[in-house]
Amino acid sequence: MLWACVLLPHLALDGVLRRHAEPDRPLVLVSGPAQRRVLVAVNDAAAQGGLHRGQSLGAAQALAADLTLVEYDADQVARWQQFLAAWAYRYSSQVSIAFPGAIALEIAGSLSLFGPWPRLQARLREELAVLGFRHRIALAPTASAAWVLSGHHDGLTVTTPAHLQRALCAVPLRRARLPNNAAIALDKMGLRDLGKLFSLPRAALAKRYGPELLTHLDRIRGQQVEVLPLYRPPDVFDARIEFNYEVSNSQVLLFPLRRLIGDLAAYLSGRDGGVQRFLVRLEHDDHPDSEVVIGLLTPERNAGVLFDLAKGRLEQITVPAPVRGMRLLARELPPFVPAVGELFDGRAQQAMPWTQLRERLRTRLGNASVYTLTAAAEHRPERAWRRVQEATTSTVCAVQSPRPTWLLARPIPLRDARLRLLAGPERIESGWWDGGDAQRDYYVIETAIGQRAWAYCPAGDVGPFMLHGWFA
Amino acid sequence: MSAPAYAELHCLSNFSFGRGASSARELFERAQALGYTALAITDEASLAGIVRAFEAAKASGVALIVGSEMQLADGPKLVVLAETLTGYQTLCRWITQGRRRARKGDYRLCRADLADPGPGLLALWLPGDTPDVEHGEWVRRTFGVNAWLAVELHRGCNDAARLIRLRDLGTQLQLPLVATGDVHMHARGRRALQDTLTAIRHHTTVADAGHRLFANGERHLRRRDVLATVYPTELLAAAVAIASRCTFTLTQLQYRYPTEVVPAGETPASWLHALTRQGCHWRWPNGTHASVQQQIEHELALITELEYERYFLTVYDIVRFARERGILCQGRGSAANSAVCYALGITEVDPSRVNMLMERFISRERKEPPDIDVDFDSTRREEVIQYIYDRYGRDRAALTAIATTYAGRSTIRDVAKALGLAPDQVDALAKTLGRWGDGAPDPTRVREAGFDPDSPVLKRVLALTAQLMDFPRHLSQHPGGFVISDAPLHTLVPVENAAMPDRTIIQWDKDDLDTLGLLKIDVLGIGMLGAISRCLDMLRATGRRDLTPATIPAEDPDVYAMIQRADTVGVFQIESRAQMAMLPRLKPANYYDLVVEVAIVRPGPIEGKMVHPYLRRRQGLEPVVYPSPALEKVLSRTLGIPLFQEQVMQIAMVAAGYTPGEADQLRRSMAAWKRHGGLEPHRERLLTGMRARGYADDFAAQIFEQIKGFGSYGFPESHAASYALVAYISCWLKHHEPAAFACALINTPTQMGFYTPDQILQDVRRNRIAVRPVDVRYSDWECTLELDRDDPGAQPAIRLGMNQINGFVQATAERLMLARAKRAFTQIEELAERVGLDRRALDKLADANALCGLVGHRNRARWAASGIEATLPLFAGMEASPEARIVMAPPTRGEAVLADYASTGTTLGSHPLALIRKQLRAKRCRPSRELGTLPHGAIIRHAGLVTLRQRPHTANGVTFVTLEDEDGSVNVVVWRDLAERQRRDLIDARLLAVDGRWESVDGVSHLIASRLQNLTSLLGSLQVVSHDYH
Repeated sequence: MLWACVLLPHLALDGVLRRHAEPDRPLVLVSGPAQRRVLVAVNDAAAQGGLHRGQSLGAAQALAADLTLVEYDADQVARWQQFLAAWAYRYSSQVSIAFPGAIALEIAGSLSLFGPWPRLQARLREELAVLGFRHRIALAPTASAAWVLSGHHDGLTVTTPAHLQRALCAVPLRRARLPNNAAIALDKMGLRDLGKLFSLPRAALAKRYGPELLTHLDRIRGQQVEVLPLYRPPDVFDARIEFNYEVSNSQVLLFPLRRLIGDLAAYLSGRDGGVQRFLVRLEHDDHPDSEVVIGLLTPERNAGVLFDLAKGRLEQITVPAPVRGMRLLARELPPFVPAVGELFDGRAQQAMPWTQLRERLRTRLGNASVYTLTAAAEHRPERAWRRVQEATTSTVCAVQSPRPTWLLARPIPLRDARLRLLAGPERIESGWWDGGDAQRDYYVIETAIGQRAWAYCPAGDVGPFMLHGWFA
Repeated sequence: MSAPAYAELHCLSNFSFGRGASSARELFERAQALGYTALAITDEASLAGIVRAFEAAKASGVALIVGSEMQLADGPKLVVLAETLTGYQTLCRWITQGRRRARKGDYRLCRADLADPGPGLLALWLPGDTPDVEHGEWVRRTFGVNAWLAVELHRGCNDAARLIRLRDLGTQLQLPLVATGDVHMHARGRRALQDTLTAIRHHTTVADAGHRLFANGERHLRRRDVLATVYPTELLAAAVAIASRCTFTLTQLQYRYPTEVVPAGETPASWLHALTRQGCHWRWPNGTHASVQQQIEHELALITELEYERYFLTVYDIVRFARERGILCQGRGSAANSAVCYALGITEVDPSRVNMLMERFISRERKEPPDIDVDFDSTRREEVIQYIYDRYGRDRAALTAIATTYAGRSTIRDVAKALGLAPDQVDALAKTLGRWGDGAPDPTRVREAGFDPDSPVLKRVLALTAQLMDFPRHLSQHPGGFVISDAPLHTLVPVENAAMPDRTIIQWDKDDLDTLGLLKIDVLGIGMLGAISRCLDMLRATGRRDLTPATIPAEDPDVYAMIQRADTVGVFQIESRAQMAMLPRLKPANYYDLVVEVAIVRPGPIEGKMVHPYLRRRQGLEPVVYPSPALEKVLSRTLGIPLFQEQVMQIAMVAAGYTPGEADQLRRSMAAWKRHGGLEPHRERLLTGMRARGYADDFAAQIFEQIKGFGSYGFPESHAASYALVAYISCWLKHHEPAAFACALINTPTQMGFYTPDQILQDVRRNRIAVRPVDVRYSDWECTLELDRDDPGAQPAIRLGMNQINGFVQATAERLMLARAKRAFTQIEELAERVGLDRRALDKLADANALCGLVGHRNRARWAASGIEATLPLFAGMEASPEARIVMAPPTRGEAVLADYASTGTTLGSHPLALIRKQLRAKRCRPSRELGTLPHGAIIRHAGLVTLRQRPHTANGVTFVTLEDEDGSVNVVVWRDLAERQRRDLIDARLLAVDGRWESVDGVSHLIASRLQNLTSLLGSLQVVSHDYH
């Protein structure tokens, strides 16, 4: 066995910078509670400005005026590690993310495919550079040793046990990845490197720092077998059909689409999951692929529903060139919770379940056109409700005052010479904080033709009135 | 038609925290402008704001009705108004009950508490949106004819319907109706602030506060003609009728001093005279001097005339207790430095040493109690507090409150949060203000912080911040201001819980007490008294000297010589860098010079530009002249320059015709003008008064500027006199017993202010006192003195105690001392077993190199310590199988220094800079010992550890930096433009090299920086803590 370890010393920062428009401006990752914000990482530009890891945000801002702050996100870091593991998976079927901030891969089996180690190493480095991740790489007979050595000596290649022993002896304790904070304690006793540690009586060490320390020392030297949890690529559904002919009629595409969706539905039920978003990619010759993204509000796995949706979307696009292949990709595969069917299904034959109707409406009219209403705790009537997209059941807050059933989208002048004031004024003065301060006296009014209106005028005045709603 | 008469009976001031959006002053001014007959202040279960309301009412001429709003936990919400004194006392009792059974800031009152209201209280039922008839019935039953149903209409969704409903309810319950306003602010313009307070109270933003905000701004003091359109006439008339029944005013409160301080058969006067006579024999065993005798007679006559005997007797009683227990104390403040107080032992300041006239402090015409603060050894102050509680009982003694106000950062932080700014923005914005600054944020600083002050959001934040500033925020406990009364306190004022367990506070603060003439005694703590006490104990225990503060020889010229050299590290008050820079110029040569020294390095004299004129006159560079012969008497002791608060008051009396009472008003305005303004009338008054007496206008204007400069910082002579005495005692000990003094200082953690133990120890080592390391074989928990057996007269050595080991636990140390007293330790295993040390404690001892005598150097000690396992009881006493010895290299000198600092914060080895002196020499940095001989104006380079960085706001952006090397400290001055150019080096450097000009005048030396260089990398990972003051 030969393990390569790719150490990613700036994983969090690189993950942010590779997506950032101006990576050369001062940028820092910050973390900690609001009162004690601390820098977790700084980019080169920020470091040149005197910022460093561990500094308080206040001190950093005192030094650098124009500073981009990004919240440190541990989940995001874990995702980047996953991402790089997937990348490494191309080179080895044994990839591990067991070491924090590092990727370990077994390459003895890969050398026949990707050439000798120097060539493979160069390739790894080149690709990592393109991906935008700074890295250190070492090769050793055990994964733990590769991990330890990668932090000590970038590019070190160790293949024989004798060489391994020598290389490890030179590693300073602080870089030896010792468990239980042993490195700090031992370093304080003037023990500087692993060589010194190897020479100490094992029993004395175990008594002080536990068997974990001995295990670590044995593993890096290959004296104890190490079993690493191996990385498994995530579940995705990815299927493709290639046509032997050029298709330019969208009706014809419906057949392969139905098949792919059928496969997807089968796959979903096989894993007892649903799909919330998937992608249909149409492949052309000499032309970038066309993509159709189908999103759902709730996970679904019924082939009919899924096909209806995809068909609706597909019919809306114009295909720029003849299609040579079709690919269906589904990554978001959440668990599926089936709707509970009524015992006596009272629906008429032509009727459609609500979820299906809702999705069809969204498909036809656009996502933003289908929404629900929810009440909001606000004194200004026009803001006392709002539209929401989520299909959640909203808690309706009780409105104590009588409010019209129909509120006009925009108040209009109420011109009526013979109106009668039934109740009021109800004074609303609120909303100064967003620039929309309302100062109104509301009245319930009966118009000349007997309608009951809700209208207001500036606070303190009586008229002229603005009509804001109608009572049923 | 003229508007009907009206009195508002339901109104909250800003002492209903998080609800009321106007001060009592604003409310009363508005009530007066609107022609209200009376205004009730009904803060929620609180009378904390009632004295301010009382003052505002007096100023406005609108009658104050005292009341309180309360929500019963199991019943209705009420407003209760005090009709008579009896009713007021009942109200105080209720609030006390409700507050005492809830945690700080909260209350819990139930129907049962109010079951028997007795006469003199009127109740208004607030029925809420959906009235509960049963609540109404209870109110009617409980309060009978003294109950009303309050109708509060605020342009809700249907006021007319609500009025009809409440009328029906009133008829049904036989409760008469009255109009009230549920007032939360004086004018509609406070609506935004009121919403903001609501959001802050609910820990949310205004945008998310929803229906917790009021729908409109009607809850203000409305015009009477507007009220006439809202309420029926008879409801308004009912309010006026109720108001006219409430005749109680705070002037009816009768406060009496405690009576038990006078034994049976004596009158207060006879007893005070007797005690004073006794005291005179004690203080002056050979008989009192005639002038002193005369002064005592005079003071006693004044005290008797004003009936203050019991006040003095109460203070005497507390001080007597402290003396019996051996707790050092020193009185301070207005009446403390009188001959009577000296005779009673309240102060150690001998009246013959300083000429203090008691009238300066107790005024005949103000019927106001004298103010005596007593400072106690801060480590034992709690004993005194417990004595007071025991002697007078918890219902008769309580601490005063402090109404903590919204200031600086806290204000803008709360406002910005309520307006929905992101946490980082809130932080950045808060930093544009000083922590305690009370000014509005400066737009340029706001802009520098990356905000646009003209944006609508920022405008709102800034405007609301300005409004909220100085609002009371919550009540907290005064550090030691006790109120003691003869009758239970809750007949005077409600008592509530403080945050500290077993502490109760009254709802009034110090100014409120002054207004009502209540007795207050400040029981405060001074760490230095603790250090002095320890030092004297140590001297007694080692048989070196037997002294008390009173028997320490006065006016020792050697001590003053030391003070003039500014050799004052560690002493009281005159040890700061600024003080040290003043000492060689002022050259204090007697006690009164120390009084001046203590008072002169303060923002008051500095901002009033009085320091340099005084120094010039003292050095004979400027003639001592007086504006008039009358003022010569006032100013002669300070060479014609007013330095003390009292002198400013006297100038006002002598030169501008103020009466003593008016001068006292001026003093209070001086203390408060930054918060409340109110100095302008005095300006006019001073100028005309002084003009009329023939003083030049520019002199008058200068006096006024000085008064403003004194502002909140004016320092009274009476306090300086007490501080100067403590300063002298500490200096005497430092000079004659440097080892004991340093040892006592570092054993008194509360005294460690300006200097670290490391700096104190370096100071004594430079004076050739031996300091010995922490060692389990010899060290106690505290640092101790080790006498020189061969030469008992020589200064003893200091043995560092285990209290210097970072994170070591006292109980462990005491176990160790106990075990060691039985038998000395020889082995680390034996030590661990006999003391029962855990691994953590052993590691700490190893880190501190305290095991050196048992196992050798620190690396060996650490290895050995880490191998000790917690002994199981079963195997106790059994020899553990010996471990094979392994070879370990000793730490290098640099490592040892680093380890010393990390563990004990000091090193007895080489100073870190001595270790890198070679490199520093190579960089042409000169050590501090070479600087002393340099001529004024020399251009040099010096490097040292940064021990202090300070940018006082009185210094126009100058940063003071103190650098320390192996020989001492150097003061560096960094002008503003250099500080800005090299900001990063200035902020970051722990080891700083400075190129600059050496200035040395009058024995005061500074290095004026022209270039800075950060040499921190030379230190490796050495940790040095700097005190940063921004």
